[in-house]
Amino acid sequence: MERPGIQHEMIRSELEEIVGEAYVSTGEADRLVYATDWFWLPQMWLDRGAPPRKPDYIVHPGSAEEISAIMKIANAYRIPVIPWGGGSGSQGGALSVFGGIILDTKRLNKIIEIDEKSLTVTAQAGINGTQLEWALNEKGLMLPHYAASSNCATLGGYLSPRGTGTISTKYGKAEDLVLRMQVVLPNGHILRTPHVPQHAAGPDFYRLFLGAEGTFGVITEATMQVDYLPEARLLRAVLFDDLAKGIEAGRQIMTRRLDPFVIRLYDPRSTASRVKKILGYELEGAYMVIGFDGDPDLAALQEKKAMEIINQFGAQDLGREPGEGWWNHRYDFYYPPQSLKLPWMYGTTETVTTYDRIEKLYYAEKKAVEEGFKEWDIEFIGHFSHWFHWGVMVYTRFIIKNPPEDPEEALRLHNRVWNTAMTAVLENGGMVNEHHGVGLKLSRYMRRQYGDAWPLLESIKNTLDPNGIMNPGKVGFGF
Amino acid sequence: MCRHIAPVGHVMADEAVTPHGIALVVASQRRGLIDWNADTVGVVYAEPDAGNCRAHCVTDQPLPAAIAAVRAEIVAQNQAPTVVYDVHERLRTKHSAFGDNAPAPTETTGDVALYVGDEAHYLWPSAVEAAIKLLDAAGMHPVPIGVGQSNGYLAGSLGFPDTASRQATALLNEVQATGARQLIVLSPGDVFTFRQLYDERLGIDWPAEVELVDLTTLLASRVADGSLAFERLNEPAAYAYVDPTHAVRVPERFDAVRALVSAVLPTAPLELFWRRERAHPVGSTAVQFTRPDIADALTRARLEDARNAGAEILLCEDPGTLFHLNRHAASMGLRVQGLYELLAERLI
Repeated sequence: MERPGIQHEMIRSELEEIVGEAYVSTGEADRLVYATDWFWLPQMWLDRGAPPRKPDYIVHPGSAEEISAIMKIANAYRIPVIPWGGGSGSQGGALSVFGGIILDTKRLNKIIEIDEKSLTVTAQAGINGTQLEWALNEKGLMLPHYAASSNCATLGGYLSPRGTGTISTKYGKAEDLVLRMQVVLPNGHILRTPHVPQHAAGPDFYRLFLGAEGTFGVITEATMQVDYLPEARLLRAVLFDDLAKGIEAGRQIMTRRLDPFVIRLYDPRSTASRVKKILGYELEGAYMVIGFDGDPDLAALQEKKAMEIINQFGAQDLGREPGEGWWNHRYDFYYPPQSLKLPWMYGTTETVTTYDRIEKLYYAEKKAVEEGFKEWDIEFIGHFSHWFHWGVMVYTRFIIKNPPEDPEEALRLHNRVWNTAMTAVLENGGMVNEHHGVGLKLSRYMRRQYGDAWPLLESIKNTLDPNGIMNPGKVGFGF
Repeated sequence: MCRHIAPVGHVMADEAVTPHGIALVVASQRRGLIDWNADTVGVVYAEPDAGNCRAHCVTDQPLPAAIAAVRAEIVAQNQAPTVVYDVHERLRTKHSAFGDNAPAPTETTGDVALYVGDEAHYLWPSAVEAAIKLLDAAGMHPVPIGVGQSNGYLAGSLGFPDTASRQATALLNEVQATGARQLIVLSPGDVFTFRQLYDERLGIDWPAEVELVDLTTLLASRVADGSLAFERLNEPAAYAYVDPTHAVRVPERFDAVRALVSAVLPTAPLELFWRRERAHPVGSTAVQFTRPDIADALTRARLEDARNAGAEILLCEDPGTLFHLNRHAASMGLRVQGLYELLAERLI
């Protein structure tokens, strides 16, 4: 929202008093750069030369106390506050759709403690993911959250949207790795959650901040569980002639608790297009990479048992090289020039559900999207990549290589595809999302997702943030 | 997605001065969303051109060269900061941004030449004297060339490719006039400039008959074959080796320079967090003129890194890096020592 020049300057002065003049920017370049994350929409908007909605202020606080003081100003003036980590979110969760203050957390980048006995690391939330990993690696440790965005994302950005990394199948999602957090509430109160998460002293209220994407407060510090760097990583690839056989093999491996750190099963179309293009393997069928890590003897035994299951489905063992090749190039799928890119229209409609529903959901979504947008020659691809004891996530994507030129028309088409995909997902027992978060992109589906439970979430939001200043327009909450 | 390694983004904690931010500003100017002005141009001149983003780019995008090309457009539109034109004028008329007493090109001939350049000549001259002593001990008697003369890197980086080309051509003429078949250089920045930048950014071929030799690699090989030896220090000070600016552009030097350092220290040097493939620069590139705040922040971050590692004395071979480290070292309780000088002192 536009603010009169006098008020704008008064607010700026107050912000400068908190963090210092060098850490408040209203410059044109800063406001432009902070106007977009990795969501297709703002990137397309800029690509087509359309002016984005920019934040009014970019503030770089150096402590939780400074953030607390900023919150008080934001409440006084009713200014939106949008927490910003690495800006690598793909859902528009960091977009300043109502203007306001971008709260860039990257100055909060200190490692406070690495506890080599309890295997935890406590760090400020603005630390870069790869830099944190390097520091842990120096001590033979790792944070087992290997997100494709780690080079860009921050620790807070791992937690805030309940992110999932490549090796989550064994080690869990980011939310499973956190022991405790420091959070600045919308009213400026700084709280610390209890020392450990597993206890019976009341409800797990601290989990409210995981997945809230900054709408309930700002995560400023976290203690995370870490692991030893594995002595061995055994990877291999297999090829199923039928996707259903791959899903069932994966289910059996998971339900028998063979503990793979990765199972990635590409549908036949992904195998024929993405796997061929990026890894160079020309294969027909469903390509699966499976990996076991840790103690070399245990990993070898787990792999042997998993291969016994896989062999029952007649899969072709492609050997180690295609598995290791995938591991070494696993992020290439998401980086230029191999990533999906403008001027194409694309979206990742990833979802998760139980094993009894997953196949039906996948085909229902595929049919709805492919038939609904046939005239746009839409491509629908997917892979099954984060496996649980009870179900699996499917990372489905759509691609339209010749979308409308006009940005508003393109946006309308994009939303129509999303509506079609999400309707199929919700009607078949899926969640609107497994790990990219909700952001702006999926905000409009939250009421449908939660149904009768939504008013409870809304009332919590209203209690924590009565002025609605925290990241408005996201996760289903307005302004 | 090189923000994990981008040095300016790291020290400034500001998205706009990461490679992504700079590229977005440039693209937005192309799309008509912004104009060049002091603010937007300031972002373009915040990039240090030290090679980190390219060294870690999964697809080897030559972003530093692309930014240098954008700066050339900005210069041509007379939109660059005043300091850019001031530095260029010094480069054009005095051959260096750092001083004005460059001697005329040498008329001496010899098989081996040593590129001195302007940083060593003006900012850290003891490195040259030590390098010559070390080369003497190795049985090599180089002809110093390019004394007090920029090699064109700075002009090119600021957005003056024509001046850079003239400086490069003058230097190559001097090399050829000496008849040298080997050109020895003191720093990874020089290796990068001669081996890569001339070709990629200026379209100038390096003469095939002249072998480019990195001094640390040469000395390390002489230590390895036993033809050069040093008396080890016996004081138990905490030494750390600082990979200099541009080190990431010449990764094959990492082991050689460490072998050299280990040949003179009683124990292996402390390693910094920002080392080898992830070594960050100090403020010794164009940012020392265009964004002194960033230059200082980069240098102080390297010193902080050393302090966190427990170092007391920092070793480095690159004159520009040494100069910048030395400006702030004492205030952070650290001492800086030229590697060539230390080696020359300890020659057996």
